[in-house]
Amino acid sequence: MILAVLFSNSEGNILVERFNGIPAEERLHWRSFLVKLGADNLKGVKNEELLVASHKSVYIVYTVLGDVSVYVVGKDEYDELALAEVIFVITSAVKDVCGKPPTERLFLDKYGKICLSLDEIVWKGYLEHTDKDTIRRLVRLKPPTEF
Amino acid sequence: MAQPLVKKDDDRDDEADYSPFLGIEKGAVLQEARVFNDPQLDPRRCSQVITKLLYLLNQGETFTKVEATEVFFAVTKLFQSRDIGLRRMVYVMIKELSPSADEVIIVTSSLMKDMTSKTDMYRANAIRVLCRITDGTLLTQIERYLKQAIVDKNPVVASAALVSGIHLLQTNPEIVKRWSNEVQEAVQSRAALVQFHALALLHQIRQNDRLAVNKLVSSLTRGSVRSPLAQCLLIRYTSQVIRESANNTQTGDRPFYDFLEGCLRHKAEMVIFEAARAITELNGVTSRELTPAITVLQLFLSSSKPVLRFAAVRTLNKVAMTHPMAVTNCNIDMESLISDQNRSIATLAITTLLKTGNESSVDRLMKQITNFMSDIADEFKIVVVEAIRSLCLKFPLKHRSLMNFLSNILREEGGFEYKKAIVDSIVILIRDIPEAKDSGLLHLCEFIEDCEFTYLSTQILHFLGIEGPKTSDPSKYIRYIYNRVHLENATVRAGAVSTLAKFGAMVDALKPRIFVLLRRCLFDNDDEVRDRATLYLNTLGGNGAVVETGEDVKEFLFGSLDIPLVNLENSLKNYEPSEESFDINSVPKEVKTQPLAEKKAPGKKPTGLGGPPTGPPSTVDTYEKLLSSIPEFANFGKLFKSSAPVELTEAETEYAVNVVKHIFDGHVVFQYNCTNTIPEQLLENVTVIVDASEAEEFAEVASKPLRSLPYDSPGQTFVAFEKPEGVPAVGKFSNMLRFIVKEVDPSTGEAEDDGVEDEYQLEELEVVAADYMLKVGVSNFRNAWESMGADFERVDEYGLGPRDNLAEAVNAVINLLGMQPCEGTEVVPNSSRSHTCLLSGVYIGNVMVLVRLQFGIDGPKDVAMKLAVRSEDEAVSDAIHEIVASG
Repeated sequence: MILAVLFSNSEGNILVERFNGIPAEERLHWRSFLVKLGADNLKGVKNEELLVASHKSVYIVYTVLGDVSVYVVGKDEYDELALAEVIFVITSAVKDVCGKPPTERLFLDKYGKICLSLDEIVWKGYLEHTDKDTIRRLVRLKPPTEF
Repeated sequence: MAQPLVKKDDDRDDEADYSPFLGIEKGAVLQEARVFNDPQLDPRRCSQVITKLLYLLNQGETFTKVEATEVFFAVTKLFQSRDIGLRRMVYVMIKELSPSADEVIIVTSSLMKDMTSKTDMYRANAIRVLCRITDGTLLTQIERYLKQAIVDKNPVVASAALVSGIHLLQTNPEIVKRWSNEVQEAVQSRAALVQFHALALLHQIRQNDRLAVNKLVSSLTRGSVRSPLAQCLLIRYTSQVIRESANNTQTGDRPFYDFLEGCLRHKAEMVIFEAARAITELNGVTSRELTPAITVLQLFLSSSKPVLRFAAVRTLNKVAMTHPMAVTNCNIDMESLISDQNRSIATLAITTLLKTGNESSVDRLMKQITNFMSDIADEFKIVVVEAIRSLCLKFPLKHRSLMNFLSNILREEGGFEYKKAIVDSIVILIRDIPEAKDSGLLHLCEFIEDCEFTYLSTQILHFLGIEGPKTSDPSKYIRYIYNRVHLENATVRAGAVSTLAKFGAMVDALKPRIFVLLRRCLFDNDDEVRDRATLYLNTLGGNGAVVETGEDVKEFLFGSLDIPLVNLENSLKNYEPSEESFDINSVPKEVKTQPLAEKKAPGKKPTGLGGPPTGPPSTVDTYEKLLSSIPEFANFGKLFKSSAPVELTEAETEYAVNVVKHIFDGHVVFQYNCTNTIPEQLLENVTVIVDASEAEEFAEVASKPLRSLPYDSPGQTFVAFEKPEGVPAVGKFSNMLRFIVKEVDPSTGEAEDDGVEDEYQLEELEVVAADYMLKVGVSNFRNAWESMGADFERVDEYGLGPRDNLAEAVNAVINLLGMQPCEGTEVVPNSSRSHTCLLSGVYIGNVMVLVRLQFGIDGPKDVAMKLAVRSEDEAVSDAIHEIVASG
């Protein structure tokens, strides 16, 4: 299951956080853990260069996209490689919506579209769609080009 | 009123850095949401308000029940709009609000309409929303549509239905299980993601049906699975099948191994890795099976993608625990990962190398690790320290460089847990590698010179007190210890005083100087420190002269408390202040039986400072102290031997009793260990009535009853007999447990005032010849035999009658004599016809005895034995023959 998808700005403020299967009382802990992980390691990292960590049986893959840090947390079948796939889909979709790796401002300007894209990508902890072109069409309620 | 979002303009990114949500406030946004009720809907504005609501929710903001309901009802009005963008937002918003069951009805009809719409995308989204908010009843109504959707030709619709199925399986398994056929069809879909979702759902539906999973795996491993994600799932399911069928295969060929091996050549890295990991995790994997998997993992180690490197090194790290040799080929690639930017990867690489490295590579490895340690977090450092400890125990010759490494990192910055891990490691190395002792102790001494953790300082001081005096030059540690008295807090100072006293007690030459130091501590401003100094100055005695310290003082300083702390704590809690002072002898000394699980758990060897410094005091010492503390037995002299406990009750009876036989020169004491296993009873005045009519040479002289025996708190009662001095008298004793039983109210734990006298029959007990023999081995039997000389040698031959085999006869004689077999001669090779067994021991009166037994077996299994005894006393040699003759 994909336990969390989280976006923060470069100062560690949360832009989007979506948890699945994590009890409400543990969310704050996860949020601060991830933000600290990013603060410790993301400095100077290139766009979309993936970083990875594991904590007990939970995996974390995270990266930087423009001014925004992206974290995904998973367990079981969503191990580091599956999460790398998930984060790739997410960053592609965000770039697609924003037209480039976003600044914080641009990210917030496109907030609605980004939420819709995330809604197509992760559905309560499961990866649903992976192709950015399909996702772009789906958020406009258009069917995929070919099937 | 609603405020429009700031105009979006990409070109202004750099100058306008403020957030479009700046100053956003829940109350204001909820106000804005009233636009959803406008008769003339403005889709653009509505979308903006929904975005703001989403932003609030994504920040972790929560709506009260009333607020959520209000927003939900308002949002449902938006179904009137035909604007597609807005509709998409409405779907998300409803999912986020997750309305309660009684509210859902408002949107059900709109969503049902969308679900049967001709527009595919409406169908897909309506399915997802409905499945998110639905309950069982509604689900049965829409089941028909969902089944159709699963096999819909539009993959988006099919995926929506399948992923919904995965979620619904948790809440409504019976309904989802009815969709098997459709899901099975979807597994064959040409759309990669549909296949992935269908496979996940189908496996979940069938996961408890082993045969069905087996069939699923068999068919799919033969066919083609399109998406790498689905292929990964298939590999996982395949390994599950392999695991479960492992015991059923007769041929030795592992089923599906070829499939896994084939996946190593897949084009997607994800699949290759999954297959490699599956192979490494196979039960009893052989090196032939392992090799191709290790090869691909090795390639991944030098991949440009950090995730692949991490995955590979993590898997290899696991393999190194069970098959270190298989991983050695990767060592060179692994070494280059020590400088990997990702610290998780670097740590995994180092710990793997520490597991697989050989002796010659240790120094090089340590050099690399030194550079690496400064820039990782404590939690990683602890992992490395533990790995280094294991490495040092594996290659003791390398203790110098490894110990140096540990002492270096001990000097650097770090938190308590990290420092404790290092100190624990050094302590373990000192204990297990004698050559490392001197340098290890000095490293610890240097550490306490500048240690900010009181706990660690006191533990190290305690350890120094035990190990320091045994070194070749104990005086060099004194300076470090005495510095603590000047520079530290009271806790550490008190610890230092105790340690100084230990040096004084153990090293006579140092005693005068220790006295000077201890006298200075008499002026400390802390009570405890002064008290300790006074106590030790008085106990060490000799007034500071170079005299040998008495054994009792050493015992006082180094001995254990001899009472389990839990028992002492319980007794003190139960003690009610009265005129009768607390009697430490009333504290039960037997450790409560631990639950089985607890006993099994602490199997780990390294204990560090937390564990006991040496083995627990031997049982003989414990018994000796226990007995000498009882006035009635105080004049019996030195305890010669205590037997192992002999059970006098069956397992799981109301009262569990076993007995230990204590042999003195002219007395025998029976220690009955009793446990009351009935919570509703309190036993008082517990004694054992012993009938010694079949033990003529014994006469009862004393009995010490047990005052009280509460539930599950073991206690002891004793009976002592006199017997002719130095004579190995034998006999049979029958035992009856007598006590007063009182009822206990389980809710309050209080016992009734009146009790009833009762008795409980115990098994018989025997004192045998072996009870007078101590098992004491000799290192070289031939030397001992020769030097003993033949002056008091007695030789005779015996027929042992028919026996099954020689081993049985040998064991019987060893047990009869109760002596220590030497040089492994108690083991009889299979089907041998003759055997020589060598025994040694100390007989009562402290007489050394050596025995040479020669056995022979003839055709009808009659065993003959030649017994040769040498001892320091003629009478004892004869006595041994008598034991055998009468046995």
